[in-house]
Amino acid sequence: MIPPAETIDYHAQAPEVSERFAQLKERPVVLSVNDLTKIFPSRNGDVTALKSVDFEVYRREFMCVIGPSGCGKSTLIRILAGLETETSGSVLLDGNPVAGPGPDRGMVFQSYTLFPWLTVKQNVMFGPKMAGHKEASVEADARQWIDLVGLSDFENAYPHQLSGGMKQRVAIARALANRPRILLMDEPFGALDAQTRAQMQNYLLQIWRNLDITILFITHDLDEAIYLADRILVLKANPGEVDEILEVPVPRPRNLDQFIEPEFIATKHHINQLIHPESERGGDTLPFPRMTTLGDDVE
Amino acid sequence: MAPVLPTYQRPAYVAMSGKGKDAREPWFAVRRELSARRSTILTVISFALPLLIWSAVSYLPFLWHPDVQLQLSAHRTDVATVYVAGDRVSKGFFPQFQSAVREQNEALKEQLTSSDPLAGATESTIRRANKKVLRHLAPLLNQNRWINDDQYTDDEAIYHAWGEIASGENALKRPPLSDENIVIVQENWKAMSAIAPNYDSDNFISVPLLSLVPQGKASNPDYLPAPDEVLTTGIKIFNIPAQGDRPSMLQRVGHSLQIVFGGFLLAALVGVPIGVVCGTYPFFSRLVEPFTDFFRYMPAPTFSTLLVAIFLANDAPKIALVFIGTFFQLVLVVSNTTRRLDMPLLEAAQTLGASQRQLLAKVVVPGILPSLYDDLRILLGWAWTWLVIAELVGVKSGLTEFIETQGRFRNFDLVFPVIILIGLIGFFTDQMLSLIKGLIFPYTEDGPKAASHPIIKAVLFIPRLIKRLTGKPQPDRA
Repeated sequence: MIPPAETIDYHAQAPEVSERFAQLKERPVVLSVNDLTKIFPSRNGDVTALKSVDFEVYRREFMCVIGPSGCGKSTLIRILAGLETETSGSVLLDGNPVAGPGPDRGMVFQSYTLFPWLTVKQNVMFGPKMAGHKEASVEADARQWIDLVGLSDFENAYPHQLSGGMKQRVAIARALANRPRILLMDEPFGALDAQTRAQMQNYLLQIWRNLDITILFITHDLDEAIYLADRILVLKANPGEVDEILEVPVPRPRNLDQFIEPEFIATKHHINQLIHPESERGGDTLPFPRMTTLGDDVE
Repeated sequence: MAPVLPTYQRPAYVAMSGKGKDAREPWFAVRRELSARRSTILTVISFALPLLIWSAVSYLPFLWHPDVQLQLSAHRTDVATVYVAGDRVSKGFFPQFQSAVREQNEALKEQLTSSDPLAGATESTIRRANKKVLRHLAPLLNQNRWINDDQYTDDEAIYHAWGEIASGENALKRPPLSDENIVIVQENWKAMSAIAPNYDSDNFISVPLLSLVPQGKASNPDYLPAPDEVLTTGIKIFNIPAQGDRPSMLQRVGHSLQIVFGGFLLAALVGVPIGVVCGTYPFFSRLVEPFTDFFRYMPAPTFSTLLVAIFLANDAPKIALVFIGTFFQLVLVVSNTTRRLDMPLLEAAQTLGASQRQLLAKVVVPGILPSLYDDLRILLGWAWTWLVIAELVGVKSGLTEFIETQGRFRNFDLVFPVIILIGLIGFFTDQMLSLIKGLIFPYTEDGPKAASHPIIKAVLFIPRLIKRLTGKPQPDRA
């Protein structure tokens, strides 16, 4: 019998979980975001997308960013990637300020961004070749990355021949081939169907476990965030501010059975409370009048 | 009380009976793709239908045919206008023409029985007029293959033919000679043969002969030749070799292609890089595009005299005209295509470490190639539309010169094959380019698809159809 979610304290951590977090926080900080603010000027006055966002990501940490739509999740990750410039504040990677996009921060986008004119292998070799390496010298390395995402049979296929999930796996391999310090993922599984998404989450956890890689992962899916993350950064909308950075009490290694564990449900319940406060939940019932006969066989 | 639920009713097309699943599909459904079989059939019909209409209008005399084409003409002493066989006169005028000649013959008969049968004319004048009457039969003889194309003035042969017809030894069949004309031939022959049984220029009849009454068949105006005429003249004009400064038709085609492709390739060579740069850098877009946008509204033909002044004669001003007509459009189209490249591709490349220069060379250019290919295909069609105007610039040349000259003489049966030829060259160039696109860009969605191409299928469909219609038994597989 599972007790009601609100009665469980999501702060409560099993001893092995709290030990993991203690170790995590002793690791060096890879990404440090300090007092980051982003204001978009517009004709109807300035729009503050992000306000004084402060957080740190430790080495080999898996951090998820979650928040209601319009909270500036994408703006945040685009600033981290260097695709947008911050209005004020700073982003430090290994203590060095970030300026513009670069291969030290790999990014996986929600939309499919494989180059359609390149084969899977050529896509994976793109980054190293831009860095000036000869094709022959990076080919073996590229094969290894393709093996890692389990697509060795498709190395000469073109992107249009791949399924959505396969495309995103190549995109991950392509980003990793640059050996980035951090992998930025902007809702990478958002366009996939539920089954493929679950499969991709498992792939990602395996890849993360096997590599020295830090991941910052944006999602709007609570289950996905809890299933993947060490810590979850919850953003508030209008303006985008850090609401809470919470430590996920679900032990690792993760598996699908944990979705019904009390600590999983408690965490989910708590984040749900943060993102959709009780006061906003007016839309659960629709104002439509009944159009069917009472006593119908559906009730 | 149990609710009454509406029962499901099959849509009408599901209930339709027919063999194969194709028969259950509706022919008309909003945005629903037709089967490959139906697409092929419709492609064939789309070409067959205009051809059928053209044939119907040409070969069914009751459909239109407002004119009469003369098979046999006549000379009228009182009218200066001369019609020769092959000319067209209106249906309303033709009977008047005939009756005028008949009246003329009646008057002549009267004159011959009067006291002054020659009406004061000299013998040589009459003889000359009589030779004309003799030769009036020539076109009809030629059509019946009694005499060759170069025998229209072979009086000996024509004279002999008159004799054959008059004696009933031989008769004209396709087309036949009318009964009243046979009588006239017999009467004339009686008079002629009495003087000389064989043609003798010095001893030719000097008593006036009766004129042949004009004969003709219903026909369309000369500006709508029939398909078979267009085909035969088309084959004929292609077999005429070059003579002096008159190029052969193949040389003309080559010359026209040179102008179209010369102007187009030059425009592409200069325009594509400019367009790509404009689409990539807003700096160049703002700098170049506003003026280009303005310039393209100035019609290229308005520059023709200017171009002749600059580039003088020969092909240079013609190629320049195609260039002007294509270039400005091309720059705008290419820059637009470049701007349509997926922004996330560029962002992804940047996060992978591509520099600004690498972005242009390694992402923008390869990324737009398939769309650029399509653009250039459309713009090549655009260049074709300038061909005729370009060939009129300065000294007329190529296919246009032929069309212009023959059109002025109203030789539309010569003009049509050339117009159709230009269309065919343009169409097949475009289809070929569309076909090989899949081979050049194997990574595009369409990929290699030659076999499924509707035009190829339609072309292959015709021999299959003929085979089925002729009902040849299929060889047994066993």
